[in-house]
Amino acid sequence: MYIWEAFKVAIESILSNKLRTFLTMLGIIIGIASVITIVSLGAGGQKAILGEFEKIGVNVFSIKMRNDVDIREGDRLTLRDVEMIRKRLPSVKYAAPVAEKMGLAKTEKYTKRALFIGTDFDYGNISSLKVIHGRFLNEKDILLGRNVILIDKDSAIELFGYEDCVGKSIKIGTYYYFDTAKIIGVIDSGNLKSLGGSIADQIPIIAAIPITYAQKIFPDINISQIYVMTYDQSQLEEASSQAVRLIESLHHNKDKYKTENLISFLEEFNRILGIFTTVIGAIAGISLLVGGIGIMNIMLVSVTERTKEIGIRKAVGARRKDIMIQFLIESVTISLIGGAIGILLGYLLANIVGPFIDIKPIISINAILIAFFFSTAVGIFFGIYPAQKAAKLDPIVALRYE
Amino acid sequence: MVELEGIKKVYSLGKVQVEALKGVSLKIDKGEYVAIVGPSGSGKSTLMNIIGLLDRPTAGSYKLNGVEVSTLSDDQLAYLRNRQIGFVFQSFNLLHRLNALANVELPMLYAKIPSRERRERALKALEIVGLSDRIYHKPNELSGGQQQRVAIARAIVMNPSFLLADEPTGNLDTASSIEIMKIFHQLNEAGTTIIMVTHEQDIANHAKRIVRLRDGLIVEDSLVSNRITY
Ligand SMILES: Nc1ncnc2c1ncn2[C@@H]1O[C@H](COP(=O)(O)OP(=O)(O)O)[C@@H](O)[C@H]1O
Ligand SMILES: [Mg+2]
Repeated sequence: MYIWEAFKVAIESILSNKLRTFLTMLGIIIGIASVITIVSLGAGGQKAILGEFEKIGVNVFSIKMRNDVDIREGDRLTLRDVEMIRKRLPSVKYAAPVAEKMGLAKTEKYTKRALFIGTDFDYGNISSLKVIHGRFLNEKDILLGRNVILIDKDSAIELFGYEDCVGKSIKIGTYYYFDTAKIIGVIDSGNLKSLGGSIADQIPIIAAIPITYAQKIFPDINISQIYVMTYDQSQLEEASSQAVRLIESLHHNKDKYKTENLISFLEEFNRILGIFTTVIGAIAGISLLVGGIGIMNIMLVSVTERTKEIGIRKAVGARRKDIMIQFLIESVTISLIGGAIGILLGYLLANIVGPFIDIKPIISINAILIAFFFSTAVGIFFGIYPAQKAAKLDPIVALRYE
Repeated sequence: MVELEGIKKVYSLGKVQVEALKGVSLKIDKGEYVAIVGPSGSGKSTLMNIIGLLDRPTAGSYKLNGVEVSTLSDDQLAYLRNRQIGFVFQSFNLLHRLNALANVELPMLYAKIPSRERRERALKALEIVGLSDRIYHKPNELSGGQQQRVAIARAIVMNPSFLLADEPTGNLDTASSIEIMKIFHQLNEAGTTIIMVTHEQDIANHAKRIVRLRDGLIVEDSLVSNRITY
């Protein structure tokens, strides 16, 4: 009951000093806005990476050529390497080569650019991509280098006008040479496009073909990486180094290969996020401190201005605690309003900055709770001293104040 | 009942010490109507503030309804101010941002009285002082006499044992002063003990008893023979 009355007094006092109160709030607004921005961008980034986990899995790593060393012809990854990784390493469940090639795909009506991914049957297991019509590549396709192809759903609709184009033929190749391939499956677009990496977004057609077929029609194609999936996540590091050693022994070379996995990617992201969080956290901390001092200052002014009022309230029976609560509620109200404005501003900032760094920000309930917690804490912490000063006023001294 | 025994009050102004009360003993019973008079600076306000528990004496004993108040804490004094004492000031001391009704409700807020009862009792008190048609007016929309009546409503709304008034008509014209005196008369008739400070003889003559101060001491304590009543 009393709290509500005190809140009304606080609102009235704030409304009668709008500009002054707003200026006081600036520190809180900037502080909270920074917190919201970093927390929501961080959450968005983490979610994006965790989304990758769902597509590829946490127990997957890839082997690539290092790009900071000389590569000779004999160093390149081969199908034999894939075969050996499957056979020799007991912790490996699946392994699949990936060779990418930009080219064209033609139907009677259309010619479109396409990203061809030459791979094998294990790729379907590792990437957990969804075949929505037909089937994925099988062992025989690879063995015989069959002219079969899977294309993504969006492209199927673009080229044929409908999703299920299994059994249709399509011409694929580069500008001067084309071969006719039979469509054996349609893949969910979202999945495959994300595997194609960032270039995939600009490519209308994403197509999976047997690696052996790819080598036939694109003689210069190279295996850019080998995806490997272990039985368990705990085997990831061990298997990575074993695989590298195995390939090195097969090629009689050293230090030409590297491995990557999403865990290390997430760790890297978290490390960078940590740096940003520290920097922005410091900015937020300083802003909140400055904002808090501003609140303390304005509350001290308010206590002085309202000394007579305090005297009157005490004369009719207000206890120390009542006066204390009244002024604390006022300082908390100021900082909470500042916090609310800060949340809105932070939300805006996150959505402006997000697209530039390829992160879709997530404003979580948690972030909002944290913001309100900090606002309240600042309001209480910096409001206590002025409130105490008001509460301790001697009634007769306060009443005489003009 | 108010029982003062050897009350002294010393103000220190740097090195100078001002003895505003030099040993005042006074007993005021329930139902009395006392006027405290005396020249300016004689200690009337100082005495009233002590009786009203707004200030503490430097020495002496003060029993309010039998309770020695010099040992009470600030919050206990606040409680007694809230329940036992209604104070009316020369300068009204209303809260400018609140309307008449809210001003009158103020003491009940600190008594934790629910809002509906607060409103009912405030309306009743405003009716007693004849301001039922001005309840939503803010102090600056009221005349001096009306503001003082709001202050009286605020002072009586908790049904205090004592109504203390320090120069209640000091800022008012004669007509308004008479209005206030009529209200005091009614309240006293209804049983409220009234202690009033004034330096005007006409006003003092509304009381039943006059206590005269000079230089911090009581120099006269007598009943009013030619009392003004309504
Ligand atoms: N707060 C104070 N500080 C110092 N001296 C005071 C204070 N209040 C009153 N006095 C002095 O105490 C004496 C009595 O004052 P007061 O009680 O206000 O007299 P009255 O109300 O009869 O005019 C005066 O001399 C006055 O100057
Ligand atoms: Mg006086």
